[in-house]
Amino acid sequence: MNSKESCRSELRIAIRQLSDRCLYTASKWAAEQLMGIEQDPANFTPSNTRFQWGSSSIRRRFRTNEITSTPIAGVSYVSTPVMEEDDAVDGDFYLLAKSYFDCQEYRRAAHVLRDQTGKKSVFLRSYALYLAGEKRKEEEVIELEGPLGKSDSVNCELVSLERELSTLRKNGSIDPFGLYLYGLVLKEKGSENVARTVLVESVNSYPWNWNAWSELQSLCTTIDTLNSLNLNNHWMKDFFLASAYQEIRMHSESLAKYEYLQGTFGYSNYIQAQIAKAQYSLREFQQVETIFEELLRNDPYRVEDMDMYSNVLYANECSSALSYLAHRVFMTDKYRPESCCIIGNYYSLKGQHEKSVMYFRRALKLNKNYLSAWTLMGHEYIEMKNTPAAVDAYRQAIDINQCDYRAWYGLGQAYEMMGMPFYALHYFRKSVFLQPNDSRLWISMAHCYETDQLHMLEEAIKCYRRAANCNDREAIALHQLAKLQYELGRPEEAAFYYKKDLERMEAEEREGPNMVEALLYLATYCKSQKRFEEAEVYCTRLLDFTGPEKETAKSLLQGMRTTQSGFPLMDVEHFSP
Amino acid sequence: MAGIVKPPGEFSITPHKVSVCILLQIYAPSVQISLPFPFASVAQHNRLGLFLLALTKSCDDILEPKLDELIGQLREVFGVLNPRFIDHLTTRLSALSSPDDLFNFFSEMRGILGGPESGALEDEQVILDPASNLGMFLRRCILAFNLLAFEGVCHLLTNIGVYCKEALSSCASYETTCFEDSSSNLEAFPEYENMDLENFVFKKVTEEIEARKRASERVSFHLHAPKALFNLVEDIEAPADPKSKHGDKVGEASSYVHPPDYALREFEPNSGIFLRTNWQIQGYLQEQADALEKNGSSFSLNAFELILRQLHKLAPELHRVHFLRYLNSLCHDDYFAALENLLRYFDYSAGTEGIDFVPPASGSNSFGRYEIALLFLGMMHFQFGHPKQALEVLTEAVRVSQQLSNDTCLAYTLAAICNLLSEIGVSSTAGILGSSFSPLTSIGISLSVQQQLFVLLRGSLKRAESLKLKRLVASNHLAMAKFDLTHVQRPLVSFGPKASMKLRTCPTNVCKELRLSSHLISEFSFESSTMTTDGAFSTAWLKNLQKPLGSAILSQENGSGSNENAFQFCVQPSSIPGPVLQLIGSSYLLRATAWELYGSAPLARINALVYATCFTDASSSSDAALAYVKLIQHLAVFRGYKEAFAALKIAEEKFLSVSKSRILILKLQLLHERALHRGHLKLAQQVCDELGVLASSVTGVDMELKTEASLRHARTLLAANQYSEAAAVAHSLFCMCYKFNLQVENATVLLLLAEVHKRSGNAVLGLPYALASLSFCQSFNLDLLKASATLTLAELWLSLGSNHAKRALSLIQGALPMILGHGGLELRARAYIAEAKCYLSDPSFSVSENSEVVLDPLSQASVELQVLEYHELAAETFYLMAIVFHKLGQLEEREEAANSFKKHMMALENPLDDEDPLFNVL
Repeated sequence: MNSKESCRSELRIAIRQLSDRCLYTASKWAAEQLMGIEQDPANFTPSNTRFQWGSSSIRRRFRTNEITSTPIAGVSYVSTPVMEEDDAVDGDFYLLAKSYFDCQEYRRAAHVLRDQTGKKSVFLRSYALYLAGEKRKEEEVIELEGPLGKSDSVNCELVSLERELSTLRKNGSIDPFGLYLYGLVLKEKGSENVARTVLVESVNSYPWNWNAWSELQSLCTTIDTLNSLNLNNHWMKDFFLASAYQEIRMHSESLAKYEYLQGTFGYSNYIQAQIAKAQYSLREFQQVETIFEELLRNDPYRVEDMDMYSNVLYANECSSALSYLAHRVFMTDKYRPESCCIIGNYYSLKGQHEKSVMYFRRALKLNKNYLSAWTLMGHEYIEMKNTPAAVDAYRQAIDINQCDYRAWYGLGQAYEMMGMPFYALHYFRKSVFLQPNDSRLWISMAHCYETDQLHMLEEAIKCYRRAANCNDREAIALHQLAKLQYELGRPEEAAFYYKKDLERMEAEEREGPNMVEALLYLATYCKSQKRFEEAEVYCTRLLDFTGPEKETAKSLLQGMRTTQSGFPLMDVEHFSP
Repeated sequence: MAGIVKPPGEFSITPHKVSVCILLQIYAPSVQISLPFPFASVAQHNRLGLFLLALTKSCDDILEPKLDELIGQLREVFGVLNPRFIDHLTTRLSALSSPDDLFNFFSEMRGILGGPESGALEDEQVILDPASNLGMFLRRCILAFNLLAFEGVCHLLTNIGVYCKEALSSCASYETTCFEDSSSNLEAFPEYENMDLENFVFKKVTEEIEARKRASERVSFHLHAPKALFNLVEDIEAPADPKSKHGDKVGEASSYVHPPDYALREFEPNSGIFLRTNWQIQGYLQEQADALEKNGSSFSLNAFELILRQLHKLAPELHRVHFLRYLNSLCHDDYFAALENLLRYFDYSAGTEGIDFVPPASGSNSFGRYEIALLFLGMMHFQFGHPKQALEVLTEAVRVSQQLSNDTCLAYTLAAICNLLSEIGVSSTAGILGSSFSPLTSIGISLSVQQQLFVLLRGSLKRAESLKLKRLVASNHLAMAKFDLTHVQRPLVSFGPKASMKLRTCPTNVCKELRLSSHLISEFSFESSTMTTDGAFSTAWLKNLQKPLGSAILSQENGSGSNENAFQFCVQPSSIPGPVLQLIGSSYLLRATAWELYGSAPLARINALVYATCFTDASSSSDAALAYVKLIQHLAVFRGYKEAFAALKIAEEKFLSVSKSRILILKLQLLHERALHRGHLKLAQQVCDELGVLASSVTGVDMELKTEASLRHARTLLAANQYSEAAAVAHSLFCMCYKFNLQVENATVLLLLAEVHKRSGNAVLGLPYALASLSFCQSFNLDLLKASATLTLAELWLSLGSNHAKRALSLIQGALPMILGHGGLELRARAYIAEAKCYLSDPSFSVSENSEVVLDPLSQASVELQVLEYHELAAETFYLMAIVFHKLGQLEEREEAANSFKKHMMALENPLDDEDPLFNVL
């Protein structure tokens, strides 16, 4: 691992440079990571350090010896030289433009910089133009929303930006930030391959721009494209890979990466949240909850990722904790999609589905592509028995992201509810294809096959088998398997599965009707197979339960004793557990 | 949101409408303007009025013309006489450079509307009655403008800028004048005090235009293949719209109308910034769907997909786009894309859009109609040849529509199941069809597939009749006819004293059903006006102009223009909806098939001809191809191969790439037939194998083709004198036909078996087969086949020895009227030869006394066989003739016949002497 110190110094410079270029998200991210590095109390007091980096003279001094500051540690990390800053030729213009930019007056900022040629100025001007175009586009979408639903409004700056940036790139007078913007523009235009190359170029020459990494990540939807990227071995690459793995559902790989990164960035909230995300996908809710509790303790006004926490709380049915969380985010920022989503979850848990839908709708108004809100809204509609609306919501989710197995699953459920199991099967198939290790999906699919209308029991058995193989928490699969095998007239297989189910229940110390059923079946089966000893064991265990089964067990025992008079009663009691 | 259908189209103001308004102002200048526009003549003024009328009528059209197109039209209409309009138009348009100009413009427009109170008028003043067409249009425009928010006005302004700019850049000569105009205009209006502001606005507009242009270029950039798109779009235009050519011929009448190939130009990447109304797009989609249905494979998959995808981007709530994408991928056999799009369509639309189902009587229908999705999914599986899934899905559709009491859907589903069952060989339905809809299964009686199909058909028909679904009734009648044609009706329940049933098919029933199905047309002619589906009508007006006379369509067919009057209904294309015409057309096709089976060649031919001449316009291209196939087959049988191949060439050109398989199959059939006749056995075998490969490998699918292939296989083996192999193939074919209940085919197979035994010299073995075939033919009323079976029977008797010659002769003479009336060349020749042989082998017959009796048929046969190039039989004929001549002592004729015999034998033995040009085509 890189030495913490070098990471720290790299980040410090990067934050400056990023916020100089008004790449606020990236600089926020970098700053979070900077604070995430374990502090070395021996060196400086933190306040001192921060004060020092504030003055430009020190920055300049630092830049001169930055090459020595990159470590030559044993790990094969590529040392990326921090880029040269422009001299402050166009400094005054730049300062004015940046102030305008900070006040979100993008076109004004661009206008101020119209004749400046420094790299920094060029970037800021293009970036301001890009943002102005985006803003106008958003407005136009609303203005032009005609009878066709959506207008073809586009960011009208894209063409000129692309032209300018591509010339710059050809001349070789483009800096990594310009490359990032170029990549962004290309991506918007739909030429993804070129965008990918350009972004790779950008991150290779300036790895600390998290914006570029996340754009790159959104362009890597398969493992193949990810592997084909030619990336320098910088520690930022680990962050990138971890997040990319997560996106393509390689959760354990992603988890491993994050845990490795935690070695350096021990206090990073970001990493913690990402670990929580991975754990959530692996359905380790308990751990997720602890992580989030800690996160909230450190960072009480955090809204990011809190929707996931609310999902966990929802799954664990902690309505008071959920209400507390909802209140907190509501007070922090009520117009964040996450906040709305959390409130929606809360109402859903309370069974007030109309209200819940209202909040999900609000979340979607704030962010039309908010995947989980679509899916959750679908769930709500299912609860409200409004299947067409649910289908619509799920379908929207799928059209945003083809790989959302929850939405496919929801669609399947909706159609099954409408009594169209055969139609639903297609959707279930899609969802198990995307998430083959989720027993719930397999069980739902098996249910579908089992319905009276289809009655395709062989297929159902296959599904249950898959479910049983992937850690079926509710232990439905084994029981169903046994029952189905019995129905199909295969007593041996049925006995096998009943036995397995029984073992499982014993291991988890659960009792219930399933246990009785298993015992009863096994007893009768063993008796019919003339394995009286075993049969007696099961019968005696049955005697511990109340109900009609007890009587059946008694009569079974009696019957066996009459046929086998050699067996004393004492032995039976001896076998009982 | 699912279930919410947007109200069809609003009247939105577009630059084109602004142009029309300007022209209106020229036509009817307001009172305030002192100087009316100088017209050269009254006629010209009137002409402008007519032109404006045409423009306003087509303002709901899918596409609006661009400015240069409008100018072009103006030029065309007015000739070179008065280009001042055009200048005026462009000047006015480019003078609109600030929102205020637009406000002023529209308030000026209000002035040209004559109010009810404007009594005192000057003589030559043209007033626009607010209730007239033009007045209404103007009022709608003004209203639409007044409803616009400021943003809307800004967008209109930008659009006008682009509209002008496009026109100007497309013809450079205008550029200068127009810019001069605009600047001079600025000076001409002294009320604009703040010139700088004005200039600024103008500059901004042009900037924005630039940006817009770039932005619209972006689309093509995104699609990666603008060039390709263009080309493909042109691709589509060419075959999809043959009518446009006729439209051009009409000339003057249609010059007011935009040519139809606009329809696709809208989606060219660099247009399309004007929003179309929902209605217009729906109309476009409807048109495309019809076109897809008609000749699907002539659409290029990717080009159309690109258009649709772009459309989807523009109008994500227009779900019918997904349906079109489904249709498109269906036409191109892309199973996965089809499935994906179908599901997506129904997920979004919940089955409440775009299908002309009668809305359920019970108003509350919040649950969507997903049963329709099932119905479509079932039909899709059927199309792709997955009968099992199709049946599964359709059964589910039946269940769900019963649950939701959607009777309409149920009726359609039942019809679909019937179709499935009749098309696809299913050996048993046990466990597939639920017991829910068959009243008999509840009694516990298991029915055969055929009986079940019959019950289903009856039920479906009844349901459709009670729901008044006329088209479904008609198609059910057709299905019924199809069923009656090939199935013997047996009592469904066989208990009690057996009713005496004659086990025959009932041709009268078939005729009855067919007639009933064509009643549809009279019903539709009464209520034609109500049948226009939304959006289709906005273009119907144009279409009507394009074909003012139906003759253009009719006369393009092979010279049978004389039929026109008999089928007047074709002349009014809009009065009868396409699907109805299609159904009626298929009833004619079915008629042709029925007569083919019953053995009346002329009637079959006439019906196919009727179809080819009257219905090709409305029908799908595969149906049209079927009609052509029938006609060509007829040609081959009655006129020999030369003519058939010539006709085939024409058909191939006509159905270039369209429904290729059907034409391809026909070609293979003809090639095989000819190869057999000429004795090219290797080639025959090869062609036969090719034919077999075309069939799907799934059991029960493509039964017709499979039977055909193995029948031909057996015949090839027979021709190669491999009797036992031929018999084995025929036998297994018989088993298959029996399993899948293909009774009509059974008769043919049995006849073939008899033939095999006859050729192998086992006449005794052959007799029962021939007799069995005869009885099959009798019960299915296959008269021609019966005649041919009788002939075979006679031949068998004859080969048993000369003492049976009398019996054989009487058999042949019984069959002769049928054979001579309806039989093809080969059959006739065989009958002649057999007759002659009978006479010759009869010991009591003397050649010298009655030579004509033998020689006439033989010479007749020789002529026909030479046409067919059937060397083997021809050689036999000449052999017999030579013998007869020898007996008569006519040596010269004998030598001639012997020579011919030799020639044919040589041809038979050296089959490869002439290279077959047609085989290379394969």
